[in-house]
Amino acid sequence: MLDSTSVQRHDDRNYQRPGIQGSMSVQPQDNAQWEQALTFIAVDRDKQAYSQLFSYFAPRLKAFGLKMFGNEQQAMEMVQDTMLNVWQKARLFDASRGCASTWIFTIARNVRFDMLRKKQSRKDELSADDLFFDGDYPEQEGTDSNEWDLWLLAEKVAPHFAKLPPAQRDVMEKVYLEEKSHQEVSEELAIPLGTVKSRIRLALDRLREAIDDPRS
Amino acid sequence: MIHAVKHHPALELLEQFIEASLAPELSLAIAAHLDLCPHCQRIKMDLEAEAGAHLAALPQAQSAETDWQQMLDFITDQPEVAAQLTQRQPFAVQIQNSEILLPASLKPLLKNKLKWLNLGGISTAKLAGEDQHNVSLLYIRKDSEVPQHTHLGLEITLVLKGKIYDESGCYGEGDLLINTPDHTHTPRTMSEDCLCLSVLTAPLKFKKGLTRLLNPLQHLFY
Repeated sequence: MLDSTSVQRHDDRNYQRPGIQGSMSVQPQDNAQWEQALTFIAVDRDKQAYSQLFSYFAPRLKAFGLKMFGNEQQAMEMVQDTMLNVWQKARLFDASRGCASTWIFTIARNVRFDMLRKKQSRKDELSADDLFFDGDYPEQEGTDSNEWDLWLLAEKVAPHFAKLPPAQRDVMEKVYLEEKSHQEVSEELAIPLGTVKSRIRLALDRLREAIDDPRS
Repeated sequence: MIHAVKHHPALELLEQFIEASLAPELSLAIAAHLDLCPHCQRIKMDLEAEAGAHLAALPQAQSAETDWQQMLDFITDQPEVAAQLTQRQPFAVQIQNSEILLPASLKPLLKNKLKWLNLGGISTAKLAGEDQHNVSLLYIRKDSEVPQHTHLGLEITLVLKGKIYDESGCYGEGDLLINTPDHTHTPRTMSEDCLCLSVLTAPLKFKKGLTRLLNPLQHLFY
């Protein structure tokens, strides 16, 4: 069932927006598909849905683990623990709080933290679940954008634009230079609206730091 | 009235935090700051979303097909685990004859009775750590001065209650002060007592050097 639904979705989107982004980018339909898979796993213990999620994420988690640990054994241990958590705790995933990929990243991060802790065999009781609170922080109202519109007009910001991470720069250029709405940017870049908003916030913080840095 | 947090960790520090690359003691200070700072909570979630998108776009690392299949079979044989998201709630602790609300991150370290060491206007109670990594509470009575001191690594101070002043300004609840071995400063209290979390940790490696640990311009906007 997951198979046919996701294939159809994939086709729909592709016909609407042919070839907008390179093959490396993650498309909104991917996230929708993963969210659906997590729902099937949570509700039905759906092994087929899990298997698809596994074949997408396990090799990428391994790449992440190799980068963080620098060795195969720990990387694979992290993959197994992370994917086991995904299987056993799929009910905890809440799409209203963030993407499936975000949720899986936070699990991998927590697994990594606890693995490092265990290796150090420290006596105190710091655990990833306590430190990296992955539940709900209260919703924040955005109050910063108006002040920043003024700042962004200043010439001093311009040189720092180029130094933003490419994904954030793309979004910022469309919003602030081409004056597009967040929704338009979301559609044009084929990324979720939430991602547009979060990239803008991160870019603004980065620009703040850049302006404040006397050496740049 | 809730104090508006003015002194935040730099983005690079938060980036290292969300990928669990910081020393655990330093992670603890950042986590406690996050409990008190809605601005950085949002940044944390944004950074995690970026990291998740990055993860999903990584090229696949290969393993033998049989290894993947074995792992998959093992996992799907495991039962579901009943898990619940907990609420992040501050908790009350009796400190120096008054009840003080502390950030939830510190709860695991406050299971045992605190042993206070008194030195003039200042009391300290060690929470965790050994050698160069040390986590403690620092209670500074009003009109007291913390003697000048040196340290090998970083000294991170998170204000939990009251206010503390030094040469560069005033710090209130949730504010983070980070001092490198190059800094000398003499923090002091004025009309009220102050409770801080103090973390000593080894120096960090940063792309831009130690001067960028804090994000001082943010106070113009928040």
